[in-house]
Amino acid sequence: MEHGVTVAIVDDHPVVVEGVISWISADPQRRITVTQVVSDITGLAWPRVADVLILDLELGGRMVTDEVAQLAASGYRIVAFSAHVDPALILDVLDAGAHAYVSKDEGREHLLEAVLAAAADRPCVTRSQAKAILADPRPGRPALSGKERQALLLWFQGMSKASVARRMSISENTVRQYIDRARVKYATLGRPAHTKDALLARAIEDGLILPGEVAPYTTFASRPRPALS
Amino acid sequence: MTAHTVPGPRPSAVLAARYARALDIAVVVAAAGWQLAGAGPLLLAHLGSYSSDQFQVAAWCAIALIIAAGSVLLLRGSSRRETGWALAAAALVISTAAAVACPPAQMLETNWAWGAAGWVGVLVLLRRPLAELGVFLTLEALAMFAVLARDGLHQPNVAAFITVLAGSTGIQVAISVAARTLDVPAQQAEQAATREADIAARQAVADQIRGARQARWLELRATAEPLLSGLAAGTADPADLAVQRACAVEAARLRRLFAEADDTPDPLVHELHACADIAQRRGVAVDIETAAQFPGTQPPGAQLSGTQPPGAQLSGIQLPAVPPEGRRAITDLAIAVLVNAISRVRVTVTGTVDGVIVSLVCDSPADPDLPSAAAGLVVDSQRDGQSLWVEGRWNTA
Repeated sequence: MEHGVTVAIVDDHPVVVEGVISWISADPQRRITVTQVVSDITGLAWPRVADVLILDLELGGRMVTDEVAQLAASGYRIVAFSAHVDPALILDVLDAGAHAYVSKDEGREHLLEAVLAAAADRPCVTRSQAKAILADPRPGRPALSGKERQALLLWFQGMSKASVARRMSISENTVRQYIDRARVKYATLGRPAHTKDALLARAIEDGLILPGEVAPYTTFASRPRPALS
Repeated sequence: MTAHTVPGPRPSAVLAARYARALDIAVVVAAAGWQLAGAGPLLLAHLGSYSSDQFQVAAWCAIALIIAAGSVLLLRGSSRRETGWALAAAALVISTAAAVACPPAQMLETNWAWGAAGWVGVLVLLRRPLAELGVFLTLEALAMFAVLARDGLHQPNVAAFITVLAGSTGIQVAISVAARTLDVPAQQAEQAATREADIAARQAVADQIRGARQARWLELRATAEPLLSGLAAGTADPADLAVQRACAVEAARLRRLFAEADDTPDPLVHELHACADIAQRRGVAVDIETAAQFPGTQPPGAQLSGTQPPGAQLSGIQLPAVPPEGRRAITDLAIAVLVNAISRVRVTVTGTVDGVIVSLVCDSPADPDLPSAAAGLVVDSQRDGQSLWVEGRWNTA
């Protein structure tokens, strides 16, 4: 991307912000530029000055899960960056329109990748997301193929994608496709969001899924939101 | 702690049935004893003084038959009103007839049939409400009184009648009442027996746990002792990498032994944490993750059915319970991998429909000596350069 990706960071822990900035500046290609750092959602510039939002889900001791949908509607591509690893929370945040979920443990390994993928409307599946997808108990969860499940499980277990490929006797590219397809299937679920539409459109464009495979929206609106501690 | 469940009827029910049975037998013995040891000798002693000896002997035999029939019915558990009353009425008619046929004015000496009908009544009406026996015994008393009145109501006879009535009827009513009140001590005995069984079951469980712990300790000694004596004697070199690994393995096993005694909601993950400690002390970052795979195990939000197997609720995930031997096999595998890890290990425990999948991914230059496969644990591994993946699948189904 010739202009680079602009990112805003919403986090109330200076140490975390410094860490994220140091990862971003350590990128040899300098693909990402931080345009704003705030400790609360209300401090975000309007109109927005960034493509992607790195959002801590717990600000000032309060969960901001409910604000994700609104932020997504205002055009941000959201990468949730949180210390929480509860699968129900992860699914909720994706459902609200977040692009990817990166747990703080996975930050070093996956945060930049998730930000770049979000900017390009391409899927990015972290291990914590793989776990949440594998454990999805909801009746309307997307049907995953056996291969997609196997790839997700090995990825969750901690194997590299190259190792997963060897294990499954397929190419690394096919492993990526299996994992990404599982993620894209989630774009048709829950409340509609244009970030999800963008993800789906890009997936179809990339040949990841066929237009016919896209199921109509199913809503989880009736499901009570699980209590968060 | 749960007691061992014994298949078949509850011990308390068995005990209550046993009590009822003993009482039935006691009543049968009492009725038969009265007829054989009480009425029989009396009849024999006065043979010759009756107007018809054959009639008296026949009446005695008929009563004996009725007692036999009533005994069989009682021991078989029959409580039908019709049969009970038919037998009781027959006994009353026969005993009254036998009394009527006794020599006049010698009623007290020669009437062997006093009280015979009463015993039959107790026997065949034992399983009926107490009021029915009351009605029957009143009828018997009236019949006896009528016989005495016909005989002329001699004063000593009336006095004796009241004595006999009070005596025999008293005993009969007492036995019937006792039969019913015995239910209370039977219930108490039942509760006591249940408590005893519970204590015995707890004791058995405690013995088993102690035995298992003892066995594990002996097992540990078998491997830890030679190592320690080798170190003490100087034959094992602490600088030797193989000795260091052996020490780490033994230390992890000791930690696991302690962890096995802990009461935790998820013993498997708890024991894995104990094993991981040995790597963490070497500065290896160990990260233990749990997940449930769907379709399969129940998540927290979903309805948990009563048949849900006991499992663990860890970071909101329900894992199927793994038996001790399975946890043993899994943690042995984990220890073998953990002692070889260089800087990072990721341990994952995934619950599936039919068991758990435990995997370890680490950087490890050497292939570890994986323990010989334990029954029920399917082990798989793959090496990619420095990275090692080891997986154990335990089927609980």
